[in-house]
Amino acid sequence: MLRHLYRCALRLHPRGFRRRFGDEMLSIFDHEQGRLAAFRLLLDGLVSLTRQWALRQEFWGELPPNQALQPTPIGVPSFSTIDPFRPRSAAVVPGALLSIALFCATCFAIRYSWIHVLHVHIPEVQFERSKWVPPSSDVGTSSREDSVSPITKGQSSPTISITSHSPLAQQPVAPAVATGQARGTPVSKKSRVESMAPSQTMPATSTAIAKSLIGAEQRSAAADAPLDAAEREQVIQGAIRNLRRYYIDPAISQTMAQSLTKHAENGDDDEATDGETFAKLLTMQLRAVSHDRHLSVIYNQSAIPEGVTGPTPEAIARYRQEMERTNCTLEKVETLPHNVGYLKLNSFPDLQLCQPKIAAAMASLNDADAIIFDLRDNHGGSPGMVAFVASYLFDHPTHLDDFYNRSENSTLQSWTLSPIQGSKLADKPVLVLTSAETFSGAEEFAYDLKMLKRAILVGERTAGGAHMVRHRRINEHFSIGVPDTRPINPVSRSNWEGTGVTPDVSVRAPEALRTAESLAEKLLQK
Amino acid sequence: MADDPHRFLPLSPAALHILLSLAGEDMHGYAIMQEIARQSGGQYKMGPGTLYDNLQRLMDREWVEDLGQRSGDEDPRRRYYRLTLSGRGVLEAETARLAGVVREARSRLQSTMPSVHKPRRA
Repeated sequence: MLRHLYRCALRLHPRGFRRRFGDEMLSIFDHEQGRLAAFRLLLDGLVSLTRQWALRQEFWGELPPNQALQPTPIGVPSFSTIDPFRPRSAAVVPGALLSIALFCATCFAIRYSWIHVLHVHIPEVQFERSKWVPPSSDVGTSSREDSVSPITKGQSSPTISITSHSPLAQQPVAPAVATGQARGTPVSKKSRVESMAPSQTMPATSTAIAKSLIGAEQRSAAADAPLDAAEREQVIQGAIRNLRRYYIDPAISQTMAQSLTKHAENGDDDEATDGETFAKLLTMQLRAVSHDRHLSVIYNQSAIPEGVTGPTPEAIARYRQEMERTNCTLEKVETLPHNVGYLKLNSFPDLQLCQPKIAAAMASLNDADAIIFDLRDNHGGSPGMVAFVASYLFDHPTHLDDFYNRSENSTLQSWTLSPIQGSKLADKPVLVLTSAETFSGAEEFAYDLKMLKRAILVGERTAGGAHMVRHRRINEHFSIGVPDTRPINPVSRSNWEGTGVTPDVSVRAPEALRTAESLAEKLLQK
Repeated sequence: MADDPHRFLPLSPAALHILLSLAGEDMHGYAIMQEIARQSGGQYKMGPGTLYDNLQRLMDREWVEDLGQRSGDEDPRRRYYRLTLSGRGVLEAETARLAGVVREARSRLQSTMPSVHKPRRA
């Protein structure tokens, strides 16, 4: 067997070498005794094979027998030819390696670098997007925005009060607003379940109102009195108290409490001598433990009044201005080829304020054969607005989500207010575009529709923020946004916190629209 | 066209050992391998691939010539090799060079040795 292998190795040698020495090498093999010697010879044969092919180019051809030189007979011309040029055999190996390396480098460059340059995305006309800064002075409010968007609760009672709105019935498809209807089951002793029609105050005036107000205040904050250790300690204790009492996950709030205390003991906080830095530092420490982007500590330059619920009038005014400026964050509403409706919404704004605009937008797309919701730059907002927009997509009231509050052990249900009178979209295909920036309320919209199999999600996996935040006062200048409510989807019994919402069709965000359009086209052709 | 053998010095160990083995008598390849092993006390074992590769290069330089097969040999595949005159000249040159190296080394090592043993003055 080994002899056979050795013969194969010999046969693979270059022709000249093989002819010249093959027999001799085989005879040596036959002379050697023992398996070990045979193995060694086989190894030597393989090394010789490599050497001959790689380094001895001059031996590839026929080798002269090189016996004693024959003298040239006199009278016969003798020609000495100049050797034709041959590259050094020693250059073959590095040359081959270099060629392979260059080839691989080129393939790599093609695969990874230039493809991105070729697909240049020409952006559509962008409206200036507002960046909301977390508010600080709102207490006892709940929301689910990027960081803090308080929602008024009316009274500080644990239940969401149900109030009526004046229906804004100028548009033909404005929904018939249900007032004061509780769809929930009768109140039990242990937990209270109430449902919420989109016209509730839950998403009320506050979404991002106080945000913009406080943002402005923070921006205009002058240098404050420096913080001393005593006040820092007070803030930390206040934060821990609120976390322990209200945060949705008691285990994590315990860990966060320990972390805050530890940081303070280690002296990590000593450098933060002004309120804003300290607030940011605490926020970072909290998020490092919990990975919950809805958690935040906020410093407010002006004093936070005690016992006030809901945003201040200035906050409301500023939010109103912001919504007017950005057209209620409706960046684009148009009809794409093949009669596909397209709506780019960059938040889910307060329902009371923006319901007319959103209703008008949906009305303008009423005749579309399919509809694409572009939420790639949507950072969330009002759950009521989420339900309102979703209402257009069903012809009967549909259970979207449950919101569970741990400290109160209460669950609030979110239902659509379908059918919307005059809406023709209830049976049309729906596509939702997502990106890694899609957050919070926008994720709820996508997730709920995905669970109900009402929409196809196209784009990237979303940011993963599901918690709903309520702001509580710590002291005169500090408040903490504590996520106290989390959604529990009735279909999946879970939510998207941390994991994000996975799209049905996974593409990079800039390509999502293109993909969705062609997908819609295909769906409509069937 | 006698090339100056000193151009090719120092020889590679393999070439040196092969030429050395052939200096005694004509040998076939296997015998050269055995002779090299014996000369180096078992430390330098050359495989046939290396051997014939070097032999070919030595033959290209015309330091070794191929005598072909011998009739009546137990293994007819064996071919015998002989050291040529120029090969002998190269071997002598290399030996002289090595002798010089050994001389130099010995004198240097000896001159440093006494200083190692010099008693230290307190």
